[in-house]
Amino acid sequence: MPEEAGSRGLAAADRYYEDYGSRVRELKKQGKQIIGYLCALTPVEIIAAAGLVPFRIKGDVNEPITKADTEMETIVCPLVRSWFDMSLKGKYEFLDGIVIPHACDSISTTYNVWKNTLNLPYSHLINMPHSTDGPSLKFYKALLNTFRTSLSKFTGKEISDQSLNQAISLYNQNRAKVRELYELRKASPPLISGAEVAKLLIASVSMPVEEATLLIDSVIKEVKQRGGVLAAKPARIMVVGAEVDDVTFIDLIEDSGAWVVADDLCPGAREFFDDADVTADPIEGIAERYLRKIKCGRTFREKKGDYDDYLEERFGHIGRFIKDFKVDGVVLYIYKYCDPYGFDVPAMKSYIESVGAPVLYLEDEYSMSTIGRLRTRIQAFLEVLGSK
Amino acid sequence: MKSQYFAGVDIGSTMTKVVIMSEATLASVIGPTGPEHRKLANRVMEEALAKARLSFDEITYVVATGYGRINVPFADKQITEISCHARGVGHLLPDARTVIDIGGQDSKGIKLKAGRAVDFVMNDKCAAGTGRFLEVMAEGLGVSLEDMGRLSLEAKNRVEISNTCTVFAAQEVVARLSEGVALPDIIASLHEAIATRIYGMVRRLKIEREVALTGGGAKNIGLVKALEAKLGFPVLLPPEPLLTGAIGAALLGKDIVGEAVEKGETLVRSERRLTEASIFT
Repeated sequence: MPEEAGSRGLAAADRYYEDYGSRVRELKKQGKQIIGYLCALTPVEIIAAAGLVPFRIKGDVNEPITKADTEMETIVCPLVRSWFDMSLKGKYEFLDGIVIPHACDSISTTYNVWKNTLNLPYSHLINMPHSTDGPSLKFYKALLNTFRTSLSKFTGKEISDQSLNQAISLYNQNRAKVRELYELRKASPPLISGAEVAKLLIASVSMPVEEATLLIDSVIKEVKQRGGVLAAKPARIMVVGAEVDDVTFIDLIEDSGAWVVADDLCPGAREFFDDADVTADPIEGIAERYLRKIKCGRTFREKKGDYDDYLEERFGHIGRFIKDFKVDGVVLYIYKYCDPYGFDVPAMKSYIESVGAPVLYLEDEYSMSTIGRLRTRIQAFLEVLGSK
Repeated sequence: MKSQYFAGVDIGSTMTKVVIMSEATLASVIGPTGPEHRKLANRVMEEALAKARLSFDEITYVVATGYGRINVPFADKQITEISCHARGVGHLLPDARTVIDIGGQDSKGIKLKAGRAVDFVMNDKCAAGTGRFLEVMAEGLGVSLEDMGRLSLEAKNRVEISNTCTVFAAQEVVARLSEGVALPDIIASLHEAIATRIYGMVRRLKIEREVALTGGGAKNIGLVKALEAKLGFPVLLPPEPLLTGAIGAALLGKDIVGEAVEKGETLVRSERRLTEASIFT
């Protein structure tokens, strides 16, 4: 673990964000094995319990997708193509393996491309079910046990219940820290900017969980110490979307005269707000968390009752964030060809408007080239909020 | 009390519009934006000042809008075209509840409440559904853009234009011409294709009457008719559809000054100069 001065706090988070993967490159030199994974639905607890370092693959909006297009058609969402493009360009050459959950079709149907193109010593697909009922949970638990066996074959060591429970506790501690961090956003003006939170959380999934927890804790202390240094801005914005692993979009909102104070994003509240329970069979608690607790658009949730009950079940957490974080307006930020979130747009929009928050829906291509037209929409949305 | 003058500068992708107002509009100028003219927003401003017989120093407040708004060095404030069109239409056509603006590079729908924008949708990802689409088609057909509307009224039939992509639609048009389809029929079908696309987008706002049409597209009678057919009722047209954004910008400037005076605040002004924008050089 790095103990030298300057390895903590906002400056360190910035550095880990800018030089993404720098920490695992060091660990690799020390003999650690690094397992890359896509999406917050990968059960990282199991990877950590196997003594491996989980590392989230990240894209780059500033890097045009040039190499990925020969393997992935443009109907694959631009985020996944950017991840793959970065991997092909050698950005993640330290990886010993890759794990892909069936989060969405863009991710799961490209599994064989990832597996056969990167040709890493280890690769595994977790064919996660899409609904939350009993049989689906049972099926998912069986898949997680297969994953557990597959990882222990790779390392040559069994993954004990004890090591799984320990990993679960470490991740729960990490998630508790993120929730503590989010408390700093409730003040008006917030004590920490949306861009600072985004960079910290993106950096946090690029290193071992214990180190990420220390990093987040150090930022909380630094921010509390510096106090209310952020200027007042007229609007408090919540961003809702799939995975935002680049700060450019958050910067754009904050440069246009608003603070981003809440989100339903990965890495963000969706990824960190629900713990895995420590259960007699540790797989049980992990399965419950990923299939039933994380409220991602890719998982279908049925609810007895009328349409309003259904909307409440699907999006009620967004309504609670709007209230708790005193949100003035919500930006739905959806990537082109994002099946889970694209499909949900009309329902999400009407739910959010029904709880009284205006909505700006933006479809984007995960590229710097779109910044100009996004800026006009965001500025117009803030003007609309301001004149109310 | 000395008269106050407000200027609105709307730099669109195709046209630059300047309006100078006091109680009423004193002068307006419409000039092409173009690659060269873009850095010469000040020329259009000078022309408007000459028309109004005013010097730049006599202007109380300048608001810039449109896609080139960031590059107007002499503006006191930049406001998006959404708010400016809403304010302009709210002033000119108080009965309007929905605005459909068809510009050179984008088209948009705006929902109005008490003369202010409350919601909007925009298409500027591709040329389909914008003035550029018609420009490309006019060129391919050897017809001037201004004649498109009038010619389309002579149409007897419609043909299918199935491509939304401007480039592919242009090829389709050439194919129809070689099949011997009459020119007015083709033009009317093109208007129909644009109207379908714009109507589909604006419908997401839940269209309320009255609907005002602005931008260059509103000057094309064929397109206006095609949109009215989709809507099922007639639309309202401002006296000069190209100027609503600039008029709205000038009025918003007036609002800002008025509010500051009311609150007894000192107005924060930019250190504006009537010079060329340097960003493009």
